[in-house]
Amino acid sequence: MTQAASLRGIRRSFGAGPAALDHVDLELREGEVHALLGENGAGKTTLMRILAGLDRPDEGTVEVAGQPAGEFSPRALRERGVAMVQQHFTLVPTLTAGENLALARPSGRLRPGSRQARRRVEELAERYGLPVRADVPVDRLSVGEEQRLEILRALDADARLLILDEPTAVLVDAEAETLLRVCRSLADDGRAIVIITHRLSEVFAGCDRVTVLRRGAVVCAGDPVSGHDRASLATLMVGENSPHRNAGPVPHSASPTSRHGESDVSARRLGHLRPEPADAVSLRLDGAGRGRLQPLDLEVRAGEVLGVAGVDGNGQFELEELLAGIAAPDRGSVTVDGTPVPVGAPRERVAEGIAYVPADRYRRALAGPLTLADNLELGRGDRHRPPAARRRARVEPVLAEWDVRGSGPSALASSLSGGNAQKLVLARELAAGPRLVVAAQPTRGLDPEAARMVSERILAAAADGAAVVWFGAELDELFAVADRLIVLVGGRATDPFTPPYDRGAVGLAMAGGLPA
Amino acid sequence: MTVTRDPATAPAPDGVLGRVLRGPDTRIGLVAVPVGAVLAALVVGGVLMAVEGVAPLSAYGEVALGVVGRTRGLIDTAVMATPLVLLGLGIAVAYRARVFTIGAEGQYIAGALAGTAWVTVGPPLPGVLLLFSGLVVAVATGAAWAGITAWMLARFGASVVITSLLLNYVAAAGLAWAVRVGIRDPGSFTPQSGPIGDAALPDIPGTTIHLGFVLALLAVPALAAVLTRSRFGFRVEVLGANPEVLAVNEARPERVRFAVLALAGAFAGLAGFVEVAGVTERMTPAFATGYGFTAIIVALLGRLRPLGVLVAALLLAGLTVGFDEAERVFVIPSTTVGVIQALIVVFFVAGEALSRRGRR
Repeated sequence: MTQAASLRGIRRSFGAGPAALDHVDLELREGEVHALLGENGAGKTTLMRILAGLDRPDEGTVEVAGQPAGEFSPRALRERGVAMVQQHFTLVPTLTAGENLALARPSGRLRPGSRQARRRVEELAERYGLPVRADVPVDRLSVGEEQRLEILRALDADARLLILDEPTAVLVDAEAETLLRVCRSLADDGRAIVIITHRLSEVFAGCDRVTVLRRGAVVCAGDPVSGHDRASLATLMVGENSPHRNAGPVPHSASPTSRHGESDVSARRLGHLRPEPADAVSLRLDGAGRGRLQPLDLEVRAGEVLGVAGVDGNGQFELEELLAGIAAPDRGSVTVDGTPVPVGAPRERVAEGIAYVPADRYRRALAGPLTLADNLELGRGDRHRPPAARRRARVEPVLAEWDVRGSGPSALASSLSGGNAQKLVLARELAAGPRLVVAAQPTRGLDPEAARMVSERILAAAADGAAVVWFGAELDELFAVADRLIVLVGGRATDPFTPPYDRGAVGLAMAGGLPA
Repeated sequence: MTVTRDPATAPAPDGVLGRVLRGPDTRIGLVAVPVGAVLAALVVGGVLMAVEGVAPLSAYGEVALGVVGRTRGLIDTAVMATPLVLLGLGIAVAYRARVFTIGAEGQYIAGALAGTAWVTVGPPLPGVLLLFSGLVVAVATGAAWAGITAWMLARFGASVVITSLLLNYVAAAGLAWAVRVGIRDPGSFTPQSGPIGDAALPDIPGTTIHLGFVLALLAVPALAAVLTRSRFGFRVEVLGANPEVLAVNEARPERVRFAVLALAGAFAGLAGFVEVAGVTERMTPAFATGYGFTAIIVALLGRLRPLGVLVAALLLAGLTVGFDEAERVFVIPSTTVGVIQALIVVFFVAGEALSRRGRR
């Protein structure tokens, strides 16, 4: 088989942190379906964006069909026959399928007539077996149709190398199967197909070779899929169990030297800071489900930290919104100390002692254009507000206590660094001694020092008797903080894992390898 | 089907307008841009007058004299500023919340019309009671008129800009009908309502400025207090900053939007009936003079701050009064003031964009 593309020594870093990709080599062949596997943040999408010309590498070379790709622009690579279907669709919602195709590849100066546009879609759909309604605006198509249209658009440009970023994440099982079949037949025509995924079942169902990325480095370079089994791939994805952790922000509760193993940290925290969790169940879910999240039974005791692991899009977001009272469960119930979580009533949520630390601080927790003092007042305070000077004076000790380093209470929240912004959120949410803490990736994007403090504060809330649900992207972090750990996959929760955690088993569960 | 609406999919306020109107990044920009815009508009207006063969400086001198050089000018300015202040305050609150209504004109007409109908063909009440009940009816009607926009936003996600604008025309048509048919004065040949009689606003003792001006002056600190010292004012700020943060931490954005629109409508309705009770004393087809649109300029120039609204309203009213006076001396059409007002907006928006770009 001839080479379709090769990437050599690709390095790419964003900002100061560790490189997103570190000297990555990848080789793709014509006629194959190649799986690119890895955890969230392993660098899969970054690598493929470079191949598709949507991003440029800091170092390294990209060759497509034997030609070095000198210029990195979407157009240059499209002309070489590379197309990428991104996770977030890039169609114009108000235009029809035909109009979207015409937009991507104009056939002339004039906008094509509706009949002409429709015929083009129908022809393509017929040829590749990807049915799409041609004459309704894209925002009325199903996600599956939208995705097929994205693929059609790529094929319309005669892509010889087609990259699909987590294509099945939005599809139901039957659709996913069909998609894999289509990928196979496209490969049989001599194209190279790359499927970015974290689902092991898909790797085995439809791929020829597999490359695994972990923390920006290749740990398995184009092995034939037949040479692997689920367990071996899962281990490659998440790494071995090892006492030595090279993780960045690993939180801990005592001094930095006391880090030994996950269970040890947990036990230490339990022993030193608080008694064993009382038997009182604080948070209880009774068959609660919403959207993608299948009905879930769950109990978290006061003082307990429940870790929730899983790849994005497997129901974590839905669970987070249920717990924080942003959306009501479609079925079942969510209660804290016997009281249902108030839905769509944030002040009641606060009054119920439910603290919410959302993953996206500036979207949900902080109003950037307002001052620190105002942000601390969100969801709290009386009908009448004291004069501005007194409001400022009142929050000064709070800012000091929570170590929010900014230029005082009148500074705008948007002026804070990530760590200080998160500390501001914690200062507000945790100050009153919550009964439930819903923390979604609370250390995301923080430097190690800030991450450590944020973790400590949340664990301290648990020590004071709060039930904590901690949604995490980093397994190391979850292993260090969680008393129990569940994995959400396909909207279902696994049985809880308990310390000492088995990396391999958790990784396998995240990739859908364990019965949920 | 759940009725909970994902806040992220809630209709977003218009981005560009929002960025321009959100206000200054610095204290200097707060005042410099509006003042600069006014000066620049006066300069260009002067050039236009020069083209017309009028010496700009002496014309502007006459404009200034027309306002401050005689008692009548000051009185007229105060009287004309009254509806502009009231309308501008309501608009300022709405724009702070990034609810970009341009329906003040319609709410103003609706309020005035309902208030007039109440006092002319409603139950006969003694003087002061008639005036107060008329004000209440006008305020409620203005709020309800704005409530239509709020309802269409909440129910259908219809754009506030569009619905509020179009409702202006509905109100104008309602006015045309009412003065010809609905509340027409049977004894009159021209289409107009009957006189409001006892419901007329008395003058400030010793002047010929009606008490509505005092009301407008009182409304300025009152609204300032509401904005800075009440939970509602806080929610307005949070809604303007980030609706999703409001939804997650404080209150439902739909409700705050509703309250904001109703408040803006209430101010407009109040302005409408104050104008009837203090100035026109009856409804005529000429009642709709576009104050509701001028008030947008007032709110904008006033930086959406109550005190700023007062200053801007006095400035624009003064310009209009002054040009009316200058028209008698020079051969310049008094509509030049309309050109200058429009130029103020253009320069204001341009200056705002420039001052932002300089800091990026």
